[in-house]
Amino acid sequence: MNPMEEINEVVDIVPIFRGHAGDQFKCVPWKMVYRGREIIFTQLGMRHPTEKGKRMIHAFNMSDGVNDYRIELDAERLIWTLVYVMGGEYV
Amino acid sequence: MYNDINKEKPMIMFIDLNSAFATAEQQAHPTLRGKPMGVTNRISKECCVIAASYEAKALGIKVGMRLSDARAICKDFIMLETDAPKYHQVYQKLVRIMKDYSPKTWMKSIDEGVIDFHGMEPTLNGRSLVDIGYEIKQRVRDEIGDWMKINIGISMNVFLAKQAAGWHKPDGLDVIDHKNLKKFYAERTLLDLTGIAERNEARLNSYGIMNPLQFLAADEYMLKKRVFNSITGTYWYRRLRGHEIDDFDTKLGMIGRQWVLRDPTNKDDLLRSYLSFLCETTGMKVRYKNVEARGVCVWARFRNGESWYAKRMHKSSFYTNQEIYRRALELFNQRPSGADVQTMGIYCYGVEPSKASQMSMFEDISKVGDLTKAVDEINDFYGAFTVYSANTIEGKKVIKQKIPFGGTEYFELLLKRA
Repeated sequence: MNPMEEINEVVDIVPIFRGHAGDQFKCVPWKMVYRGREIIFTQLGMRHPTEKGKRMIHAFNMSDGVNDYRIELDAERLIWTLVYVMGGEYV
Repeated sequence: MYNDINKEKPMIMFIDLNSAFATAEQQAHPTLRGKPMGVTNRISKECCVIAASYEAKALGIKVGMRLSDARAICKDFIMLETDAPKYHQVYQKLVRIMKDYSPKTWMKSIDEGVIDFHGMEPTLNGRSLVDIGYEIKQRVRDEIGDWMKINIGISMNVFLAKQAAGWHKPDGLDVIDHKNLKKFYAERTLLDLTGIAERNEARLNSYGIMNPLQFLAADEYMLKKRVFNSITGTYWYRRLRGHEIDDFDTKLGMIGRQWVLRDPTNKDDLLRSYLSFLCETTGMKVRYKNVEARGVCVWARFRNGESWYAKRMHKSSFYTNQEIYRRALELFNQRPSGADVQTMGIYCYGVEPSKASQMSMFEDISKVGDLTKAVDEINDFYGAFTVYSANTIEGKKVIKQKIPFGGTEYFELLLKRA
């Protein structure tokens, strides 16, 4: 049984660009609209880059305090995708 | 000089990420923190735990245990699939932190690294390695993630530093020097020592060496001539006393790949496709290492418990996927017919530096080299397995890249395929 529910849908994201973040993450998703529902992120788990061919993808693991979300930013096409949701109720 | 315990100041720091993959997943997924969970390469009913969180370990769930057994211990045990780019990010950040303290740093594996502070005393400004160790722990929490924990061991050689890192898990920091070396050995069993597994333990036991203190007290002649019957005995004699003997580079001997079939089969077309996939990934590794090979070995283990292998050394070297597959297939066709293959593998040996840059007198050889280079460039640009052999199609559907546990030499290559 895999606790992740795969979504793979393009979503609307409101990110925060932090100008004085130093070595910390300068761009972090803050709010997401998914199927009409507004989700506000409260915690960044991890961000890491990955590649699809030569396209740079930034993967963000976010949490709203209940569920975990994996969101990916395609840095070439500037598209945000909700890849999966991991339900807190499962765990 | 090797007869006494090394009394030099401990200057080797060993850093070990606690349950690295599982902790990285807990870092990424806050809802998993504090819960028994593990990771595996591909989730199936009988998949194995390749890393377990500390919460899972506390319940008795061990690495290598099947998912069904883990769930029997804890019904809420959560299993995730591995995510190589995530672990690479942790790895890169850890390397970056380590390199801030000494240019002499190296990774023993994805989750273990060594910092050699010899010659770095002037830059330490009088700070002790223990101070620096606590600083590194804090930096790991700040720069990688607040859930990340590391064990740190400090000692005179890599072996003892690793033992120190495992002394008080998780999140420990320990120093082993000539003053507390015997105290450390007194608290451990032979099996706790890295490099001593059941067979070596039995070997030591048969000469009356029942614990690490007796191992330390054993004389070099006995270890070399009787217990180990080789130079290994001398190495152990020195290693246990804190003298460095593990700081050498190993020579690349073979390059290969293996695969455990989910459903054992004797269907020739399927097995050939799996073999073709294994040959393609082996070929990628060969070219990534900029080497060529002269020998091929193909092996299989069958459902009935029997095993088989065939190997052949060739006069000319090779490096393309097609050449590896052609040679491997010749051997693979000699396997016992009818038996269901459960595990199969291939490796290339007789490895030598690549001669691909040399011009060939023969046009057909140059064409093969050019084609391979072009395919590699396309796959590098658009993602691995964009162009691949038609033989591989079925194999590609089922075989997944494994996370390398030992060395980190193929990690960059793996990420291209992730």
